Amino acid sequence: MSSPVLTMSGISKSFGATQALRDVSLDVPVGRVLALIGENGAGKSTLMKVLSGAHVPDAGTMTLNERPFTPSGPHDARLAGVGMIYQELNLAPDLSVEDNIMLGQEHSRFGMLNRRAQQAKVREVLELLGHPDLPPSTPVRELPIAQQQLVEIARALASDCKVIVFDEPTSSLTRSDVEHLFAVIRRLKSAGLGIVYISHFLEEIRQVSDCYAVLRDGQSVGSGELSDTTDTDIVSLMVGRDVSELFPSVPHTPGEVMLQVRCLSGESSPVDVSFELRRGEILGIAGLIGAGRTELLRCLFGLDEVASGDAIRSPDAYVRTLGRRRPSYGCSPRRRIAEGFGLVSEDRKTEGLAQSRSIADNMTYSRLKPYSRFGWLNLNRRRTAVADWMRRLHVKAASPEQSVGELSGGNQQKVAIARVLHQEADILLLDEPTRGIDVGTKAEIYRLMGEQAAAGKAIIFVSSYLTELLAVCDRVAVMSRGRMKEVRAAKDWTEEAVMAVAVSV
Amino acid sequence: MSEKPLTSDSQRGPLFADPRFWKRALSMLRPFLALAAVVLLFAVADQRFSEKPAFFTADNFTNVVSQTAIVAVAALGMTVIIIAGGIDLSAGTAIALAATVLAWCLKEDVATKLVAGDSVASATARLKSANDELGRVNKELKALGEKSPGNSVIAEKLLDLGNATHEVERREQRLASVKMVSQSWSKWTPTLAVLAALGCGCLCGFVNGALISVLRVVPFIVTLGTMQLFLGLAKQIASNSTVRPDRASQVPDWFSSLLSIRPETLWLKLPAGVWLTLLLAGLLAAGLHWTVFSRYVFALGSNEATARLCGINVRWNKIAVYTLSGLFVGIAGLYQFSRLTVGNPTSGTGLELKVISAVVIGGASLSGGRGSVLGTLLGALIMSVIGNGCTMLGLENPVQDMILGVIIVAAVTLDQFRQKAVGGRQ
Amino acid sequence: MTARFWTACLLLLAPLGCGDSQPPSLPGYVERPSGRVPMGMEVGGEAATPVDTIKFTFAVIPKGTTHEFWKSVHAGAENAAKELGDVKILWKGPLLENDRDGQISVVQDFVTKKVDGIILAPLDKQALVDAVKDAQAANIPVLIFDSALQDESLIVSYVATDNFKGGQLAAKRLSESLDGKGNVIVLRYNAGSESTEQREEGFLDELKARHPQIKVISSNEYAGTTPESSLDKATQVLTKHKDEVTGIFAVCEPNAAGVLKALEETGLVGKVKFVAFDPNKELIQGMADRNVNGIVLQDPVTMGYESVKRMAAHLRGEKVEKRIGTGEYVATPDNMTTPEMDKLLKPQQFE
Repeated sequence: MSSPVLTMSGISKSFGATQALRDVSLDVPVGRVLALIGENGAGKSTLMKVLSGAHVPDAGTMTLNERPFTPSGPHDARLAGVGMIYQELNLAPDLSVEDNIMLGQEHSRFGMLNRRAQQAKVREVLELLGHPDLPPSTPVRELPIAQQQLVEIARALASDCKVIVFDEPTSSLTRSDVEHLFAVIRRLKSAGLGIVYISHFLEEIRQVSDCYAVLRDGQSVGSGELSDTTDTDIVSLMVGRDVSELFPSVPHTPGEVMLQVRCLSGESSPVDVSFELRRGEILGIAGLIGAGRTELLRCLFGLDEVASGDAIRSPDAYVRTLGRRRPSYGCSPRRRIAEGFGLVSEDRKTEGLAQSRSIADNMTYSRLKPYSRFGWLNLNRRRTAVADWMRRLHVKAASPEQSVGELSGGNQQKVAIARVLHQEADILLLDEPTRGIDVGTKAEIYRLMGEQAAAGKAIIFVSSYLTELLAVCDRVAVMSRGRMKEVRAAKDWTEEAVMAVAVSV
Repeated sequence: MSEKPLTSDSQRGPLFADPRFWKRALSMLRPFLALAAVVLLFAVADQRFSEKPAFFTADNFTNVVSQTAIVAVAALGMTVIIIAGGIDLSAGTAIALAATVLAWCLKEDVATKLVAGDSVASATARLKSANDELGRVNKELKALGEKSPGNSVIAEKLLDLGNATHEVERREQRLASVKMVSQSWSKWTPTLAVLAALGCGCLCGFVNGALISVLRVVPFIVTLGTMQLFLGLAKQIASNSTVRPDRASQVPDWFSSLLSIRPETLWLKLPAGVWLTLLLAGLLAAGLHWTVFSRYVFALGSNEATARLCGINVRWNKIAVYTLSGLFVGIAGLYQFSRLTVGNPTSGTGLELKVISAVVIGGASLSGGRGSVLGTLLGALIMSVIGNGCTMLGLENPVQDMILGVIIVAAVTLDQFRQKAVGGRQ
Repeated sequence: MTARFWTACLLLLAPLGCGDSQPPSLPGYVERPSGRVPMGMEVGGEAATPVDTIKFTFAVIPKGTTHEFWKSVHAGAENAAKELGDVKILWKGPLLENDRDGQISVVQDFVTKKVDGIILAPLDKQALVDAVKDAQAANIPVLIFDSALQDESLIVSYVATDNFKGGQLAAKRLSESLDGKGNVIVLRYNAGSESTEQREEGFLDELKARHPQIKVISSNEYAGTTPESSLDKATQVLTKHKDEVTGIFAVCEPNAAGVLKALEETGLVGKVKFVAFDPNKELIQGMADRNVNGIVLQDPVTMGYESVKRMAAHLRGEKVEKRIGTGEYVATPDNMTTPEMDKLLKPQQFE
């Protein structure tokens, strides 16, 4: 094992009273992939921001290629040889592939672009990536996400970087794209770069990484070779407690049919989907990104147009159909909420929550009635009720008036779920409720789902994380290309079987 | 010391010790500080450089406050729109439209017109034209008499004379009946005119809201269009001129004293219009804090997708927001008329930018979800204090324009810094 | 928060601070020099009058501040102040042209400031009545210039051009250039502007009464307040009547500037006789080229001068006539080089 290309030692950083990093040390070896593991809020992002020059550390030193490394800003860090690939891509969508790759490092003379030199460089970089087929003059907007990501990587390579950091790069990729990405990472590794790979998925980490470092509460708690470690060890390092609590089970038994969906089709997806959902049941829906799972939930909730088919909602003698042409009043979310549906959106930031509003507002938007009289609100009563919900769901926040944007991802998700519970929905549509949140909070959400099912609610649980689907659900359905392929009891599925159905045509 | 019961202290202690208390207090005081800074500067400069300092006097305070009322009241409505993530560029011309409608209603004596289908003035005018016609026929007849033409010609003329006389009689009767109606009904004209102005404001807002939510076009574009539309409507009503109701007979005194600063019209030291503005501001502030509707307004501005997800009726709430703002526009129209006592279609051009500036200086965010009534009032006040102070100091228009511009940019920039400082930790 | 405060301070101090180091360039500071020179600087660099000789401060409030006409009025007012020696002029118009409410605020501000006299060109004959009443209630005399106020009982005097007569002169001149017959267009200015409405009426009245062979083919188009809007409107109207039009009258300076350009654009320049009201550089050049057949002239310098003089006289207890005409003249390509006309065509302007 050769000497590390990048060394971070004794890094500390605090924001006001919070110490985000405490004496963290990290070595990135040459030609290997280091997995950086930790729960949300463990300090991974802060550490990477220090590395990319966005934050200046309070203490500690960094060396890059055996030279002291003190970047003054992200651009400086990139020129010095640290490339960052974030979950959200950082491209100018209307510029071409070539322009994006060379952005900020244009080959020019007297202010004039030297196109030929640039083209040569772009070709060389794409060659190195193993993707010489990327058309350099196409606007990035027209490329699929996976290829856009390649452009980002190419950009990092074009600045001759020594270290590339991948921050949750697979969250918006399909399975096959993930495989491609891993191939690229292996190529880069063999080209002698140091690579830092950040992910929540231990499976992925095992596939692509060689060694690992775990952060918890801003401190390094362990590191080593992946081949010497078990998943359980890593998880217990991450959470600092026993893993058996990871999928807490609450006994619940499915009852009578609550929702019967018949031949439901949306504008493009879902296509002809039929299933039934029972009281006290957790129905999991697996599938690749774009398989139509989110669209199915949105159709059921009145957010997307229903082209044909219907759904019968039968709590008691009370039956209504969903099948209407347009999301007019007849099948708006407003109507669905009145009928007892509740949706937790997959996208907390742009849809699920009004980030600048308070926890109290976000929790009660869908049901202000208990606190209002002639249109006027009793804020004290609401505050008490919201505080109560926050306690029940262990939402960590200063007060119900704190704005949601200031909370961590996990706490935000709890607020979104609390809203659905607060509105007393009895059919819960949860779209990727555990995405991007830490293991501890995930466990809390699983337990909550179990409790709700035991209390007689029906839950549809959409997730891309098969392990949790199989562990938490009573039945699991697999969708592919808008159609619902197969529904089985969870215990009759294996992860491989689910994948096999998901990728089938 | 320790003998005293500590209950009150121990209750209060944590409140003052809590840094969030101070943070909140400070953020509430912030707009006041900006205003205080501007006032202080002008006061000092006025003391120092004018031979007769008049800036920091009670009279001038009344003066500035009454000059602020039009922009302030329109800005209250605009605050709601901006919080809901919209913008209304048509506010200025809608104010002028409301004022023009008000002036037209007064001029045409609308109550009488509604009841009798005619106004005294136009009935009089028509009587006059009938009389003229009668005179003309008489004259012709006389001329004919001198020429002594055939009987048939004379008979025809006599028939004309009969018709004309009949017409005069008919119109005299009509005038008499209109006058009678007017005696008992024209006292309702001012009330009707005010209602018409308010209704016109609401209607303008409703049109904006309906276009925005039905056509799903961005508010900027829709109101850019309706801005021109309302200007055209106002010109149409004013027949491309200025509507001038007669000051003495048609404009009740309370109209012109609404924002007047003459001592005899003041009510508790301030013009009634200012008190009304403050009352409206109080109501709106309470409404923005304690109503269900306000929650929806903030939700819309903060994240429309979330609002839809939560079952909030986005369409109707948007229409309601713009209509509510229209009510304030109508009141601003009433104020404008009370200052000008004429309805001029073009007198609102450019006013919308003042209104928006007031809201923005007051700390609202043009991307929605944030804004306060108090901030808006102070923003409006800051702008008119600058205008007034520049006049007092003898600073000329170019300087005043530049100072206003710099203040707007500075206020918004500083506010962004503050937002980053508060919301930056995630 | 303190940041906002300090920035506000800086903002306000910035223009003042500049003034200290560069005395003559403080923008817009137009008070007459006096012993107690504001911000420690002198304006205009002329001999300063000691402060104790200043007896009266007059606020002069034009309709706007960007037209050349008002600059000449300003010059005349300053001439009178200089001549009187004990009068100081505060020159301040509304921020936007045509902003009635803004002008009311300016009058109110000066009433609160308790100036000795207010000299006002009202943007609206009715809208400014209340503001003038406020001044009267505060014992501040008001003199009206340029455009009338509805209630003449409130004012010291009305100093103005006879716009109706100016309109008549324009009609006479246009008829003369057309040899007494033809089809003419009147391009109006803006709805509700008193002085230009007078001109339009005077023009139409004169044609109807004394020039029966001249037909008015368009008199209901409004050109708006800027040369740009006038250019657009004039182009449309001229194109519409291209085949029949032989003469055009533009009732004010921005209007005429637009019309002259429109004539050039439509290729009608020289073919269509053109009479303007108030001069500017292009119009004078146009007249030298014989493309403009006449310009009706007012005397803004005298207007400013007389206004200040009469106000001072009133305050000294002298009797002042209620109505003072400042004269109206017609410049033609033939008489434009005479000294009298030259002085009116290129009036003195306040620097």
